[in-house]
Amino acid sequence: MSVTTLTAGVISREDLVRLLAGPASEGRLMAPVRVAPEVVLFVPVRDPDAITLDYVNSTVPPKEYLFPRAEKILGWRGSGPQLELILPPELQPLVLFGVRPCDLRAITVLEPVFGGAYPDLYWRRRRELTTIVGLGCTEPGPYCFCVAWGISPVAAPEADLMLTPLEPPAAGGYLVAVQSAKGEELLRRSGVGPQAAGTEPAVLRERRTAELTARFRRLIDPTGVERAAERLFEHSYWRELARRCLGCGICTFLCPTCHCFNVIDRTAPDGSGGRYRCWDSCLFERFTLQASGHNPRPTRAERLRNRLLHKLSYHRTRYGLEGCTGCGRCVAACPVNIDIAEVVADLKGLMT
Amino acid sequence: MKEITLNLRARAMELLAGGRVDLVIGYGTGSLPEFVRPVFVDRPERAGELIFNPLCAQNLTKYVLDYRDRPGRVAVVVKGCDSRSINQMMADGQLDREKVFLLGINCPGLADPSLLTGAAGRRDWQVESVPEGFRLRWPGGERLLPRDEFLMYRCRTCEHHNPVVYDELLGDPVPQDEAPDRFAEVRRIESLAPAERAAYWDALFARCLRCYACRNACPACTCRECIFDRPEPEWVARVVAPQSNLAYHLVRAMHVAGRCVDCGECDRVCPVGIPLREINRKVLKELAVLFGAPTPGTAYPAPEPLATFSVTDPEEWL
Repeated sequence: MSVTTLTAGVISREDLVRLLAGPASEGRLMAPVRVAPEVVLFVPVRDPDAITLDYVNSTVPPKEYLFPRAEKILGWRGSGPQLELILPPELQPLVLFGVRPCDLRAITVLEPVFGGAYPDLYWRRRRELTTIVGLGCTEPGPYCFCVAWGISPVAAPEADLMLTPLEPPAAGGYLVAVQSAKGEELLRRSGVGPQAAGTEPAVLRERRTAELTARFRRLIDPTGVERAAERLFEHSYWRELARRCLGCGICTFLCPTCHCFNVIDRTAPDGSGGRYRCWDSCLFERFTLQASGHNPRPTRAERLRNRLLHKLSYHRTRYGLEGCTGCGRCVAACPVNIDIAEVVADLKGLMT
Repeated sequence: MKEITLNLRARAMELLAGGRVDLVIGYGTGSLPEFVRPVFVDRPERAGELIFNPLCAQNLTKYVLDYRDRPGRVAVVVKGCDSRSINQMMADGQLDREKVFLLGINCPGLADPSLLTGAAGRRDWQVESVPEGFRLRWPGGERLLPRDEFLMYRCRTCEHHNPVVYDELLGDPVPQDEAPDRFAEVRRIESLAPAERAAYWDALFARCLRCYACRNACPACTCRECIFDRPEPEWVARVVAPQSNLAYHLVRAMHVAGRCVDCGECDRVCPVGIPLREINRKVLKELAVLFGAPTPGTAYPAPEPLATFSVTDPEEWL
């Protein structure tokens, strides 16, 4: 995907606060905040100074602002002829600040699922109403491998405004690329005027991409893994790997591209109720359990294989897009060290 | 600790080769220096995969539940804290002692990997426990770290360095120091005004994703079908929201009340850093204060205050 840059220039750290001040004061800003020593979350922010810029990646990906963990899609009250359906309240426009390139790529990965042949109106509405400010990385984290999937750690086309930190971080300011009309609007309203960059912006971005790419420590080569995955579908590898899997939902809920959901109806004793779309996980026992009692993925081995092959093969087969963006969250948080980067190497190794 | 690893491998090899067990569940090297992982050694030739070092945090007894209904016997590596789970599983009628062979480790305490990374200033370190503390090495350097300062949080209040139940011990017993106050944090939370306390927990539960890692890692969670998974009747709303999350955690605390062995796995696995252990410790504190009961699993058989009924119970309403 090519980056459509309308304009570009350099803004300072102080400009960044001005850029976000308007949406913050209106309660429309969602940004990363360190809520505990090792936990960074995207939360509503009223004071731009509360935002943390010193983080590798958020603990939970910001995908929940486009695909909430629980979303009320319909309400009702009464019954029979008096049944009244209630649509959820209108959504308000948001500014989502500080999204990293791996999580930005995830939007492209999810777009054919929610915005493809059968557009999902909830996703589409949130996408329309959300102005995304991307923030390039200043240092790869210990579990990061986005570059293995051809992602630049400092720029991504999915953002409405893309900020690329210049050296030295913060003091050097940010190269800002305006990549959509929404991005242009946010910049215009803030009154922040980017200064001309001394060097051609595309050259600056490429230089920063190369500098940062060279600092990644997890070097994995996914070439050929899709084919390996297909050939090894029935390999005992999965059963062996699944012995230690706890069957929890950490890897799926922290994944920026996992998108399975369940629809749950809740009705109160008075007959009123709501229909909710909730994150689901293919690692859960009841995932794809059919009304007959049959489950096509009866054990953790089939379920774990489903998750990993969805990332490494199925999404690519279906949409021509990698299902993993190398954010490293599942690697960092898995309590039993199931490591997708290692799985890539294992599968390729089993083929040779 | 190196000695423990060598003993462990030798014993695993003997047990497997002699047909005394079909599987050894232990720890193995992880994908990066700060990780170790559970390994399932099913042949004597694989015994070399077993290790023990100060990163071996997982409570492996949970896996025993996957194998208890199969023929044969499994060996499992247990630290002091983990060994309490075995006693409690027996007390709960969940485990036949004959199904497991316990390879006990005398553990002076585990190290906190992020503190080690801080001390090394890099990530390619290796750590071992030595009598003086933790020895941290990296290419071209090493540091001896005082144990107390680099312990994993949960090990700071360790009750049992040495397993309380085992078939074999793989190292020398570690002297048990004066038990530190395990309930200091519980007391701090109790001392908050009710509104403050509610705000404290509400903020934490709002983060909960309902990934169920705390339940799935918990050795006291042994139900074949969990009520939190049931759609009909839906006892606790599956829709993630602060209120239903609160209900989830409180119901879980009540389900493991009197059976939680305080291994700390719920705390360790939580991806969003909710201090879940303090909820269970509140119950443990009540057990200790009201009944003078030790931490569940300390001995087997043992009186179980919350699972005992007596007609002479002084409670009038009973």
